[in-house]
Amino acid sequence: MELSELLQFAVAGLKNGSVYALVALGFTIVFASTGVINFAQGEFYMLGGMLSVFALQALGFPLVLAVVAGVLATTAIGVVFELLAIRPRKDGDPLALIIITVGGSILLQSLTRHALGPDELPFPAFTPGPSILVAGAAIERQTLWMWALTAAAVVALTVLYRRTAFGKAMRACAIDRDGARLMGVDTRMMVTASFGLAAMLGALAGIATTPLTQTAFNVGARVGLKGFAAAILGGLGNPVGAVIGGLLLGLIESLSVAFLSSTYKDVIALVVLLLVLFVRPQGILGRREREKV
Amino acid sequence: MRRPAVRLMSYGIPVLLVMVAPLLVEDRFVLKVLTFVGINALVVVGLALLFGYAGQVSLGHAGFVGLGAYTSAYATVRLGWPWLGGMAAAALVASLGGLLLALPSLRLRGHYLAMATLGFGEIMFIAFVEAESLTGGVDGFTGIQFASVAGFDFRTPAQNYWLVWGVTLLAAAVAYNIVRLRPGRAMRALHGSELGARACGVDIVRLKVQVFVLSAALAGLAGALYAHLVGFISPSIFTLHFSVILLAMTVLGGTNSIAGPVVAASLLTLLPYVDAVLPGVPESVASFLSDWETDIYGLAIIVVMLFAPGGVAGLLRRAGVRRTRVEKGREAA
Repeated sequence: MELSELLQFAVAGLKNGSVYALVALGFTIVFASTGVINFAQGEFYMLGGMLSVFALQALGFPLVLAVVAGVLATTAIGVVFELLAIRPRKDGDPLALIIITVGGSILLQSLTRHALGPDELPFPAFTPGPSILVAGAAIERQTLWMWALTAAAVVALTVLYRRTAFGKAMRACAIDRDGARLMGVDTRMMVTASFGLAAMLGALAGIATTPLTQTAFNVGARVGLKGFAAAILGGLGNPVGAVIGGLLLGLIESLSVAFLSSTYKDVIALVVLLLVLFVRPQGILGRREREKV
Repeated sequence: MRRPAVRLMSYGIPVLLVMVAPLLVEDRFVLKVLTFVGINALVVVGLALLFGYAGQVSLGHAGFVGLGAYTSAYATVRLGWPWLGGMAAAALVASLGGLLLALPSLRLRGHYLAMATLGFGEIMFIAFVEAESLTGGVDGFTGIQFASVAGFDFRTPAQNYWLVWGVTLLAAAVAYNIVRLRPGRAMRALHGSELGARACGVDIVRLKVQVFVLSAALAGLAGALYAHLVGFISPSIFTLHFSVILLAMTVLGGTNSIAGPVVAASLLTLLPYVDAVLPGVPESVASFLSDWETDIYGLAIIVVMLFAPGGVAGLLRRAGVRRTRVEKGREAA
């Protein structure tokens, strides 16, 4: 295989990988604050795309505004979902919360189908134009947008977590919920915020991808699954791990298409997921934890 | 009334009703729907053990149903095995799949199994579509014969109804006995505190894996029954959507109960056919219900987990407790 061809596969891998990274970050943020795997994470990805398309086509918003509106509306849905469906379950039993997110996932999906229809919907590229050639590999302009948005999201999250009182409170809450509460952190508020943040990241990934792939009410589950595989690969609960896991998973997927076959492309992520669970469940960056009574 | 008598009646009467239903129902379509109810109930018996007693959820049981269906179809049609051989193969292959999945994910604390099963269901769906030489691909697998044991063919809807519900009630009885005896107590302990159960000498990983494998085997059996009943299977049946519906039935049925989930499975399966089952319900209600089925399931899952975590079984139990209290009060007086 020629180098340019290999590079082309790497570009494709990093393109999908940036989506997985954003979705994985969403999983990680909610897991850190609640200890729960949020099965509705993929639906936030779907809603970001679908609501932006709706804002553009039905409401006639200009493109930039449609994107912003789609992301903000999804964030609001994430917050409302937490307030209505997660917060009332006061004991925070993980099994119950997981099942609630499963219910929320199919509810969001099905409501979207009723509200916006069952069809695949397109969204124009953010900046139209021919692909850019780098060392013989063509990079679509939209792919650059996806990378830029992912990078921006990671930088913004880092600033939020390191520099702001709010972000520090979220981290404290993730380390020790009771300890954070004793220090005056409103932990319930932090859980709500984590759902909003996870929804925002998912929506961002969703709308950034839609110009290349189109979107529909049922695209969430598969992306959610891959984002979760990425989060496990990097170490669940670790934001840096989520990004690395996402990009790595994208590369693995793309290279397996290059060297094996494309028939079972969607199976690779799941095989990676099961392998990591089997061999190194704490992920690449995770540390083994011991359970105390 | 003494307790054993109450128990005998509360189980005996529904079982009797289920078994005589084909004599009361003349409509062949309704009987077919009721047979599908039995197939779903069989899967849900396994899921009830998994969720209600072992505290785990599966989002991939449609994959096991499909695995069983395709295994039995392949064994009987392509390899010429008898029906019973196909059923055994279906249960065996589904169990092996379950073992393969449960070993890595159940070694860990937490709820990795749920996500792993979701992935498994997707893998199976892709495999059913892509492995055309085995499964017939998107066009599906046709020409599967009715069940037949030692020369007797199950041809009429009533015969198939009895076959399916016979297997389902048998599985429910086995499950009921499992939860009453030592494994059941161990599972309840596990539900309360994993660490506590472990300290008391319960090998929790082994137990969870066993329950999961059993639930996979029952799903495989249900799939095989379905394949021979309908004669045709295709990948579009064994989707994530089906897995979620099965989970909804289990969750709505409630924890620590086999009967609750079976009742919930029956009611939810009948929901889109309400016009055929209940006389006087207009067709528009049924078509509305089947259009909004998924929304209703999603909402119902959330509402039950928030406000009635015991599900149907919990409500029944509470009613039962109230009744016995009243009776005791009378006896005291």
